[in-house]
Amino acid sequence: MIWESSEISSLDYVIMHIVMKEELTNVRSEFIALSIDAATKEDLDNLRVTYLGRNGRLTQLIKKLADLPKEEKAALGKLINQTKSSLEETLEESYKRVESEKTLDIDPTMPTNPLPVGHTHLITQAIEDIATIFYRLGFERSRYPEVDWDWYAFEALNFPKNHPARDNWETYWIDAPASKKFGKMLLTPHTSNGQVREMERLHSQPPIRMINIAKCYRRQSDVSHTPMFHQFEGLVVDEGISIAHLKGTLEYFAKNYFGENREIRLRPHDFEFTEPSFEVDIRCDICEGKGCKLCKEGWLELAGAGMVHPNVLKAGGIDPEKYTGFAFGTGVERVLMMRSGLKIDDLRTLYSTDYRYIRQF
Amino acid sequence: MDIRILDSWLREYLDTKADSREFAKFLSLSGPTVDRTHTYNTTDKLYEIEVTSNRVDAMSVYGIAREAAAILPQYGFESTLKALEVYGGKLPQKGLPLTLVGDENLVYRLMGVVVEDIQNWETPKWMIDRLESAGMRSLNAIVDITNYVMHETGHPCHVFDYDKLPNQKLVVRESKKGEKVTSFDNKTYTLSGGDIVFDDGDGTIIDLPGIIGTKNSVVTKDTKRVLFFFDTNSAKHIRKTSMELAIRTNAAVLNEKGVDPELAEVGLLRGLLLFTDVCKATIASPIYDSYLKKPVSQSISVDKEFISRILDIDINDKEIEKILTSLGFDIKTSATSFEIDVPTFRSNDVINKESIVEEIARIYGYHNLPSKIMDTAIPSHSAINIFDKEMSIKQQLTKVGFSEVYTFSLVSKEMAGDNALKLTNPLGSDTEYLRTSLMPALVQAAKDNAHTDRLSFYELSKVFIPQKNKLPEEVQMLGIVFKGYTFIDAKQKIESFLRLLNISYSVKQVENEDYVSGGFITFIKNKEIIMTLGLLPSGYIYAESEATVLLNLMQEYPQFTPMGEYPAQIEDMTVVIKNQDVIDVYETIRSADKLITHVEVVDVYENSYTFRIHYQSPDKTLTDKEVEKIRTKIEKKLKS
Repeated sequence: MIWESSEISSLDYVIMHIVMKEELTNVRSEFIALSIDAATKEDLDNLRVTYLGRNGRLTQLIKKLADLPKEEKAALGKLINQTKSSLEETLEESYKRVESEKTLDIDPTMPTNPLPVGHTHLITQAIEDIATIFYRLGFERSRYPEVDWDWYAFEALNFPKNHPARDNWETYWIDAPASKKFGKMLLTPHTSNGQVREMERLHSQPPIRMINIAKCYRRQSDVSHTPMFHQFEGLVVDEGISIAHLKGTLEYFAKNYFGENREIRLRPHDFEFTEPSFEVDIRCDICEGKGCKLCKEGWLELAGAGMVHPNVLKAGGIDPEKYTGFAFGTGVERVLMMRSGLKIDDLRTLYSTDYRYIRQF
Repeated sequence: MDIRILDSWLREYLDTKADSREFAKFLSLSGPTVDRTHTYNTTDKLYEIEVTSNRVDAMSVYGIAREAAAILPQYGFESTLKALEVYGGKLPQKGLPLTLVGDENLVYRLMGVVVEDIQNWETPKWMIDRLESAGMRSLNAIVDITNYVMHETGHPCHVFDYDKLPNQKLVVRESKKGEKVTSFDNKTYTLSGGDIVFDDGDGTIIDLPGIIGTKNSVVTKDTKRVLFFFDTNSAKHIRKTSMELAIRTNAAVLNEKGVDPELAEVGLLRGLLLFTDVCKATIASPIYDSYLKKPVSQSISVDKEFISRILDIDINDKEIEKILTSLGFDIKTSATSFEIDVPTFRSNDVINKESIVEEIARIYGYHNLPSKIMDTAIPSHSAINIFDKEMSIKQQLTKVGFSEVYTFSLVSKEMAGDNALKLTNPLGSDTEYLRTSLMPALVQAAKDNAHTDRLSFYELSKVFIPQKNKLPEEVQMLGIVFKGYTFIDAKQKIESFLRLLNISYSVKQVENEDYVSGGFITFIKNKEIIMTLGLLPSGYIYAESEATVLLNLMQEYPQFTPMGEYPAQIEDMTVVIKNQDVIDVYETIRSADKLITHVEVVDVYENSYTFRIHYQSPDKTLTDKEVEKIRTKIEKKLKS
């Protein structure tokens, strides 16, 4: 029985030939696929050992060749050599590819255009910075009318009717019938209308720690004034509130907003709604207090402040014998310009809608 | 008020070792602020001093000297206030007559004296110098003396040509409406009534006291006899007249703040010395003094406990007594309180215990007071901070690429529309109204950026909707303008923004006459319009939302959706759409089956829309057969 013979028949050789040929094709496809996936030199080194090494797949096939008759050996041998050089070629190319992927083939200093990103307005950024500092001290923010009655902007704040102190506020008046109870309608010239409104909001129940940051309007327009601007105003009312608390709060703000080394001072001043009243100065950072063109004898005005006038507490339904309080107010634009070294000469530029300005911040 | 004080003039009344720099520094810390110090006439110094409107007593050379004499010793500089040099010669008991008819509601004190035989009309150089340093121009010695005395003492005064008073009489009365006066500088004013005037006794107005002299009684070169006159007027009346007629003379600015009538006498004697010394004039009448209403010397009681409560520090009684005495107050100390008499020159501004505390604190030195943060209860009334939410909205807008602008709340009539609040005193017609919408200003802002092809601006701000007999409704709005965007690009931005706020919505196209036909859509949630987007006839695209709506709907976090362990099957489906909104087709596909996890439009050609559909199950990889089932479901729904 031929089939039982230990001899290998010629048919067997044919089969072996076909199998080996197929295996060679497989080895080649596998190798190419794996070389494409290879990302590093190490991957390729492994690949070389696996296929072309001493015990590699291809070497094993070459070893099998020895069993074949001469004529079969010649034909397959040629194929094996072709495969081997094809693998080596692929390997070489892959080494080059892996090498080139490690280097950049463009000039990395190439200038780029900025992405069209969104911009939050400088004033919004300043308001957020200011509010955050006061939140840390337990202050609350609320919103009050921008169009309000004379009562809240002046009368309840202890401004007598037709008093010279009212001249300091270039008030815009609204062409609307006056209220019998609250007087004329106006555009708030300061954030102080929030004082009595906050007392009312809290049903005249201290503790009050208000920080009111809002738009204000005054009838003036020049390099240092815009008819619309922003102020922030603090009001603290409780038992035992003293000038020391006012100093401490404003010092906390000044150091957090302007920097640890910025000193403040209080000077006597006069506001109808506070008694005593102060003007708060901060040490000029340009001349470091020596005195220069931009400051007054080394100091810059930071805010108006004072202890809440008893008549204001009364207007808000709070007993001035039991409670005391302090208040302060200043411009958002003022502190922003003082801090940032923005070098904007004309305050009106802050409210420009020119995209070439907007996109800078 | 800003006043200018010459150092050499000041030192006539202030004896101190403090130099000009020290004077400026310490006066500012405890009294009126010295804004600037200039060198004047090579060796002198000129101070620019800001005196607050409650301190009319300090709006003079002598007033500043008095403040400095109280303040400087606290900083280690011994200082004394010297008395004004006044006329000390004989005063005639008889002489030219003068009748003063007062009205205590209008004028508190009238004082006058007549001088004649004026031998010198020329102002000496030293006086011209001092007047000019204070910003006043020299005219002639007679008039200059009145300005000099006013600047030195703080009480305005006036000179009349005595011979122009037909009855040698001054009658104080209120003006009648429509009465006219002509000022010494030839301007005619019509009075509105209720102004303080001096009548000559025959009905003719011969002065607007405290404000400006009139032509019919003015002193000229031909004047032989001069009536030197002080009138202390009701501040309220002076202010009314001065503001109405827009006459803001130095005299009016002082008088409207309420000068001390006690000063009139000192001022008159000081002036008399100058008339006799400088002009070599002769006194021709007694001093006439009609003192109708003396200032009430107030007495204020202050508890010691109150002082230490406000100052947060204990100051000993001796120190307090010393401070208040140096300022001219009389003080009586008891175990628990102080009884304090206020000097007449401070009767306007020191009226309660708080103002006494101010006097103590400022002289003691605010820098000597402690500084601390409140240790009392922190209020906790607001449950939700709308400002945090608004900031979050702004952050999301920025992320999507919008840039924030601030436009003015004041706009022109054209921009405001018909139903808007109007100002009575606008700066110009372009800022005469309060805006009722953010749109006009935002569109204008986009238009003004001719140099930029593509931009998107937003503003989050109030608009003002008038209400009858009430304050307007102030509505916080979000407005967004697009320039150089296609409608779909703009819509993509709005949708991305709403997604960042975690607000789901549906979109509906409606007609709106402000926008081009077919170019307006609304974003709807729970049947409420949360946002609109439309193409304006001007070519700009505008989106708008009421901020509270967004604030109420926005979620800090969305509900978590599992990522899906098994891969999605993705396929494209092209649908020809006629007479139907794309969004409806989209919604039909999207809602056809719960295994459809994502749908997007990837291509549009004429009426053909290609939708890319993701089929995905949380439990397994879907087979082709299962996908086919869902696809059939979609097709069926689309056909129905």
